[in-house]
Amino acid sequence: MSQQVSVRIDGELCTAAEGQTIYEVAQANGRSIPALCHMEGLSSAGACRLCLVEVAGIGRLLPACTTPVNTGMSVTTESENLAHHRVMALELLFVERNHICSVCVSNGHCELQALAQKLGVTHVRYPYNYPRLSVDTSHPRFVLDHNRCILCSRCVRVCDEIEGAHVWDIAARGINSMLVSDLDRPWGESENCTSCGKCVQACPTGALVEKGRAVEEMTKRNVVVTTLAAKRDAHP
Amino acid sequence: MENLSSHSLSGTTKNFIDKVVSEENGRAGALLAILQRVQESHARKFLPRETLEYISQRASVPLSRLFSVVTFYALFNLEPQGRNTVCVCRGTACHTRGSSRLLEQVMMDLGLRAKEDGESDKLTATTDDGETTLRTVACFGQCALAPVVEVNHVIFGHMNERSLQRELEALSKREARP
Repeated sequence: MSQQVSVRIDGELCTAAEGQTIYEVAQANGRSIPALCHMEGLSSAGACRLCLVEVAGIGRLLPACTTPVNTGMSVTTESENLAHHRVMALELLFVERNHICSVCVSNGHCELQALAQKLGVTHVRYPYNYPRLSVDTSHPRFVLDHNRCILCSRCVRVCDEIEGAHVWDIAARGINSMLVSDLDRPWGESENCTSCGKCVQACPTGALVEKGRAVEEMTKRNVVVTTLAAKRDAHP
Repeated sequence: MENLSSHSLSGTTKNFIDKVVSEENGRAGALLAILQRVQESHARKFLPRETLEYISQRASVPLSRLFSVVTFYALFNLEPQGRNTVCVCRGTACHTRGSSRLLEQVMMDLGLRAKEDGESDKLTATTDDGETTLRTVACFGQCALAPVVEVNHVIFGHMNERSLQRELEALSKREARP
């Protein structure tokens, strides 16, 4: 039995097991912290910077999904400052690549779009990058559209941790970061890919989708991944 | 993104990789050590596709993980490197002391052109004859000697167009000898 710790989340006293993250404890106590890279059943990456929270006594914002709780910690999950940072993080995701919802197969079923609507992002204050990015259609059943990718690395983790194939990874660094399969080969040529489609189901946007879908037709089933992860845990 | 250069693996190279992998595997940071030693053993100081595939197989590291690591660190080369390396510092101190002029001059002397992909702050280019690789670096930490140019891992401080040209000429003369 792991040790119990007491923390305050938005003033409310909560008990948690040692080693749990702020995100898990907040969720268990009915608070929803926005996140795009976090997914139940997968390890945490801390990539999207949307789950930033304030912790009393610490001068900077901390990602809730990777910060473990400590006894006596006092966490704030909603504030003007946090809202400002979350909106900015979303805007920067939008300007980085070509997120054009109106022609996207995931329009209406996209976590990025839904979160922007929820947080009231009506416009973007920064100039768009408009990078020239490719679309990989080499796989017989799926498509990878780099224009819609937010580098959340859910696909990387689901392929590594649940499927065990580790076809995906993020290459290069900074603004040049790019999702790659194997040694930057077309997805369809990957000998490691089992075509299980879990990366597609885990992808929060229209970056990984099924072939043959028209605009607004691509719905994702995150629950597939979460259920599989839970079953894996039950049979170690 | 770049296509990987191809270079077939010899039996000796395979044996060397086997040895390095068995020595390093299991240690923390083993992958970096393996890649570094294998790259260093190559005559042209780079990691061809076949080498990466073999390392992946021997060290049980996924191909995509390998690609992620070799593209993250500037240390690893995916292109064959020149026999000589000239590295021009583009740090602030060197810049104010005229390193951009030095860089321009070396590029003209070597007949290299800047890539037009907007990434002008970082440069790695090798002459067509494979003799010289020109790189830029953000800072050598030798700002008191600005502007600094490194030639074959030897630091030259207070460089100007003349002294730099002298070093480059000395390089080509050394090659002319058998």
